[in-house]
Order: sequence, then structure tokens, then C-alpha cells
Amino acid sequence: MTNRTPSPRGMPLLDRGVGPLLMLPATLLVVVFLVGPFYYMVYTALTDLSFADASHSGSFVGFDNFRKLMRNDPFFWASFLLTLKFVIIAVGLEFLLGFALAFLIFRFVASQRLLTTLLLIPMMIAPIAVGLIWRLLLQGDFGMLTFYMRKVGLLAQNAAVLSAPDLVFPTIVAIDVWQWTPFVTLIMLAGMMSLPRAPFEAAMMDGAKPFQIFRDVMLPLLRPVIALVLLLRGIDAFKEFDKVFLMTGGGPGTLTELVSIYAYRVNFRNWDLGYGAAVAFMIYLVVLILCSVFYKAVYWSSRKPAAAF
Amino acid sequence: MLKPLIRGSAASGLLVLAALMWQITQAAAWDLQEASKPYSGQTIRMVGEALPPLEALKKMAPEFEKQTGIHVEVEMYEHSEAVNKVQLDLNSHRGRYDVIIQPHRELGKFATNNHLVEIAKMMADPALRDPTFEPEKQLYQTAWHEISWYEGKEYGFPFTVLNMFMWYRSDLLADPKEQAGFKAKYGYDLAPAKDWKQYRDIAEWFYRPDQGFYGTALEGKRHEALWYEWLNFLYSFGGDVLDVKSGSACGPVIVNSPKAVASLEYYKSLLQFSPPDSLNYFWDDVMALMQQAKVAELIMWNDATYAVSVDTTASTVVGKVGFDLVPQGDGGKIGQVEGWTYLIPVYSKNQQAAFLFVQWMMGYDRQLEQHLNGGASGRPDVYASPEVQKLPYAKASMEANEHAVPKATLPQSAEMTDILVRELSSYLAGEKEAQAALDTAATDISTLLGSCAPMTYPAR
Repeated sequence: MTNRTPSPRGMPLLDRGVGPLLMLPATLLVVVFLVGPFYYMVYTALTDLSFADASHSGSFVGFDNFRKLMRNDPFFWASFLLTLKFVIIAVGLEFLLGFALAFLIFRFVASQRLLTTLLLIPMMIAPIAVGLIWRLLLQGDFGMLTFYMRKVGLLAQNAAVLSAPDLVFPTIVAIDVWQWTPFVTLIMLAGMMSLPRAPFEAAMMDGAKPFQIFRDVMLPLLRPVIALVLLLRGIDAFKEFDKVFLMTGGGPGTLTELVSIYAYRVNFRNWDLGYGAAVAFMIYLVVLILCSVFYKAVYWSSRKPAAAF
Repeated sequence: MLKPLIRGSAASGLLVLAALMWQITQAAAWDLQEASKPYSGQTIRMVGEALPPLEALKKMAPEFEKQTGIHVEVEMYEHSEAVNKVQLDLNSHRGRYDVIIQPHRELGKFATNNHLVEIAKMMADPALRDPTFEPEKQLYQTAWHEISWYEGKEYGFPFTVLNMFMWYRSDLLADPKEQAGFKAKYGYDLAPAKDWKQYRDIAEWFYRPDQGFYGTALEGKRHEALWYEWLNFLYSFGGDVLDVKSGSACGPVIVNSPKAVASLEYYKSLLQFSPPDSLNYFWDDVMALMQQAKVAELIMWNDATYAVSVDTTASTVVGKVGFDLVPQGDGGKIGQVEGWTYLIPVYSKNQQAAFLFVQWMMGYDRQLEQHLNGGASGRPDVYASPEVQKLPYAKASMEANEHAVPKATLPQSAEMTDILVRELSSYLAGEKEAQAALDTAATDISTLLGSCAPMTYPAR
């Protein structure tokens, strides 16, 4: 049998060096729509560009915007801390409820496909529509939910949910939980369904009780999925804008002014684009740091038990 | 001795006659169809807020198209969207819009960034100028100069001259049973409020939440509506934001004066007579409440009056609502200068056609038609017409226009508004006291405007 060198025509495309060329469209898309705008944002953050003030035509001001942001902008930090609170509470609840729901479905429901399809409905609705629906449901005069809440005594006759300073933040958290818990359920359910059977059988043979199996076998095996779902939801919740802006506009006062609403005001109400870019960059930076710290922590600890196992 | 005098007089008379004849000839000579011939076939695109005045304009545009061959396209958006669309278009220099209809608070920003055509240049062009259109005689001068001029330059004409005044349920105030009960409780006759004490008493008297009826309705949402509404109280109590005479002037910040603080505290005191969801209301919500006969009195815009007091398809209180100036405080009779203005961007490729359309719209007949269909004309002669006089809000509109107080049109005015809305809303939500909220607003506005705006009342 003789070795034959394949003719160039017969070679697969990738072997003929066409691979990088095929990546070009995707690379171009990334550069034009992601990398380019990102660097432009960084550049803008170093200027005084304003569409409102003609004397601020985009001159280079170094780190002035960042200095102002760090030292002289209590409203940015207030909205930032409020956003962190929103993320921690909303994503925490979504995870707990989503996980519990997924576990119940995994263990006790036979027709999982139908149930998961039904569960998907809230997350399939566009955030703008969610905001509008809830705004109408909670409207103080004719909102259906307001009516029934008053009827059963959950809400005082002279109160309205979106106007009550002590209720408005819990309400936006609850609506986010309503919308996104099914997403967590879905991912967790997929994770549970893909777990190998062997570790569970081994644990049962060793006489482990159900809670021990859940804590010592199931949870460690699910850790990468948990990390993924928390990361995705965390990032998404940090960017929350549409629903809250539509329902409350950030108010009353600053009680629901999340950092994305603050950034919107700086950029598209006041047209202070240099400073607005600094705000956006700061949000990006903090999210990036939080995500990488969180992901490394979870991923690193998820590797240890896996290796031991 | 007498002859030269007679000759001189005769000569002057002849000159005046000749000038008059020339003007008449010119007026007769100018013709819209002739003037628009070079631009026939062009399409002008305009953008503004989706409200009855713009809808009325859209209905009239085909007549202009018929006369000139210039096609008119109208884009209508919600308030903030209409402003944002224009801002982005102007900064991109794209020239999508040939006529922009914008709130006058945006004027300084557009003018100082050289986005606008100075309309005086077109007014000086005899080929474009309709000699029968004389804005210096035919428009409310204060309103025109505040709404469409900036730093002495003329950029357009008022699309609407807006104002806020008091709306009240005239049928309830005239009800003998209510009158007797009110007099027994408060010791004076029930009538449209002339001062703030009466306004509060009426709100308290009619506050009947168990019947789904409220004394008043505040626009307490974190929205521009809150700022606009509170300005009525501020001006009436004798306060202001800046100590200046015109909107384009920068000056000392006085928004945290004792009068301003008193006005804000009074404003919040009305919340107890307002529906429970008032911190989530803006103008649409309170208008709907009045249309549904759920409120006794409130302070609202003149361009919303039509939908409440004339349009029977939208309102249950037609014939039952009265209108008057906002109650008086130390500031006396007040209104507020506000309006949307026609402007032509320098990036428009059809500037002349756009000017011809705007000029045509400013004509008496179009103004009258627009006004009768929910507009708010800038022409006093429109208000004087018998048809307009029949409208229940005509008198209040005219009076409010005559006492209108200018507000800032500086390039930073949008941010000033944003600062005030934030602080007013914080006070209503109980996050701050009135003094602290207005001190913060004054400090931030002073910092924003710089050295031209020192604080008259130092923050505590």
C-alpha cells in the first residue's frame, strides 16, 4: 500500500488554511459591535463630551470624570448599593425558589416537559411588557391586584403599592423573582437530569440518608451549574432597567433608582456623555471584578471535591 | 408760508400712501403657490409630541400639500421620546427632520450648539415671507420671546403656548347641599379657590375615599410632571428657581428660599387629600381622574382641557368643569411660560419648504382650527374669536398667558429639572425634609451653572 499525498482539491477546507478566513465575519461583528464601542466608551469617559453644554465638546480631561464619580457623587453610590441589594435579594430568592421547584419536579413530576413549558411563560415575555402588565395590575385606582389585595386586607384602603415607600422596593424584587425563577428552575432541572447515577448508587449502598445524599453528593455535583445560573442571573439583574423604569421611573424619591436608571439619566436626560461613559465603565468594571471573583471561587471549590471523588 | 406747508404735508401723505400701496401690492403679490414652486415635490418630515395639537396639524397638512406640492410627513411620539429622537438626530447631523417641535426648555441646548436655523434670515427673504404674517404684532410677545427666542435671536414660532391653571368641578361647587355643608364647617361660601387656604379647604371637604372621590390629585411621580406642577406653588408663594428676568439668563439660585420651602411643605400637605397612588401619577393619570369624575380640583395643563371639557367621547364631566388661575399667594396672579416651538434644524435639506409650512401653520385660520381641536395658540386674535370664547377654558388660558413667569431655557435646564425632580420626589417619599431637599437642589444647580449662579440662601 503506497502513501498518497491528497491533492489540494481533496483536502478539507480547514486544512487548506481557510479556517481563519471563515472566522472573519464573526470577528468583524465582535470588533464592530463589541470591542469598538467598548474602547469608544473608555475614550469618551476620558473626555468632557456633552450634548447639552456647547463648551464641553469632547476635550480630553484625563481621569476627572472618575475622580468626580469616586469622590463627589453620592447618588451614584446610593444607586450602586441599591442595585447590589436588589441583585443579592432577587437572585438569592430566585435561586432558592428555582432550585426547590426544580428538585420537586425532578423527584415527583412525571410529565416534566409540559410543566417546564408552562414555567417558561414569564421569562418569555419582554421586560417592557412585564413592566406594563405589572404597572396596570398594581395601579392604585383600578389595578386588579390592588383591588383584591385591598379586599383580602393585604393592602390598606388608603395605600397603593407603587406609591408606598416601604412597599415599592420589595415589589420590584418580587416581580423580578416572578419573572426569572422559572429560568433558574429550568437550568437546575437540566443540571439534575444530567447527573451521573453512579455516585448516588454508591452513596445509597454506603447507607447514606436522603439529606446526606442531597448535601454531599448532589450539591457538589451541581456546583458548576449553580455557579453558572447565579452568574447569569447576577449579571442580568445588575443590568435591570426596563421593568423598574416603566413601573416607578426610579422613584418615589430614589427608592428604586437602580444604577442602570442612574446611568440612563446622566446619558440620555442630561446628555452628559463623558461622565455617563465613566458611570457605564465603572458599572462594567465592578461587575467584571465581582463576576470573576465569584466564578473563580465557585469553580475552584467545585474542582476540589470532583478531583477527590 | 402756507403753501410749502401744504406741499410738504401733501408730499408726506403721498409717501405714506405710496408705502401703503407698496405693502398692499406686495401682500397681494406674494402667493403661497408661487413661493413654493421651487420646492414642489419635496418632502418635509416633522416630529413632535403625540397630543391633540399635533394630530390637528396632521389633519390640516393635506391642504398645504394640495396648495404647494410639498409633501408633509408627521412623526408623533410620547413626550420624552420626542425629545430624545430630536437630540440624537441633531447630534448625528443626519438631518432626518426638517421641522422639529420641541419643548422650549430645550432651546438653549440647541441654540448654543448651533443646531438651529435663525428664522430671521428667512423672514427677511421676500420670496419666502408672507407679508400678512407679522409675528411681532400677531403673537403673545412674552410667550414668543421666551418660547422661540434665545439670547436675542429668533429661532421659530410657538407651536403651543402652554399654561397650567386650576380645574374644578363647577357642578359640585354650585350644589346647594355642598355649599351649605361647606359653609357650616369652614364659615365662608364654597366657591372656586382664590387662595391656598381655600384650595386646601375644598380639597379636604371633598375628600371622600370611601366613595372613590378625592379632594385633589397631585402629579407626584418622579417625572417632569412633578416639577411643572410644583412650579405653580413655588411662583404663587413668591419663590423662583433662579433670580432672573428671562429664561436664557443665568443668575443667583433661590430655589431654597423660605418661600420655596413653604410652598413645598404646603404642596405635600395636599397629599392627604389625593388618591393613594399619587406618588405614581403624572399628567395622564390626573387627567383621567378628572375625566372619570373622581376628583374635585387640581392644577393641570391648558392643552389637556379639551379632552376633559369638550370631548364627550373621552370625558364624563363635560359641562361640569370650571377653570381659573391657580390660587394666589404672595406671588399674586401667576401662570408659567411653557410651550412647544417650531424649529428648523440646520441639517435639514428642505429648510425653505419647512419654513413655508411653519409660516402657513401660523396663519389665523390654521391657528383657529388647531386651537378648536385641542391646540393652544400663541395668537391673541385666536382667543378673541367668538368660537374660542365659547370654550370653557378660554378666559383662564388668556389670563394665565398674561401672567406667565419664564423658566430656564439654559443649556443645562434639562439637568436642572432632573435635579429638582429627584429632590422633590425624595421629599414626597419621606427620604428628606423640605429644607434639606431644596438645599441639595440649590447646591447642585449652583455647581452645575457655575460662577453665574451663586446661592443666595446658603445650604443649612
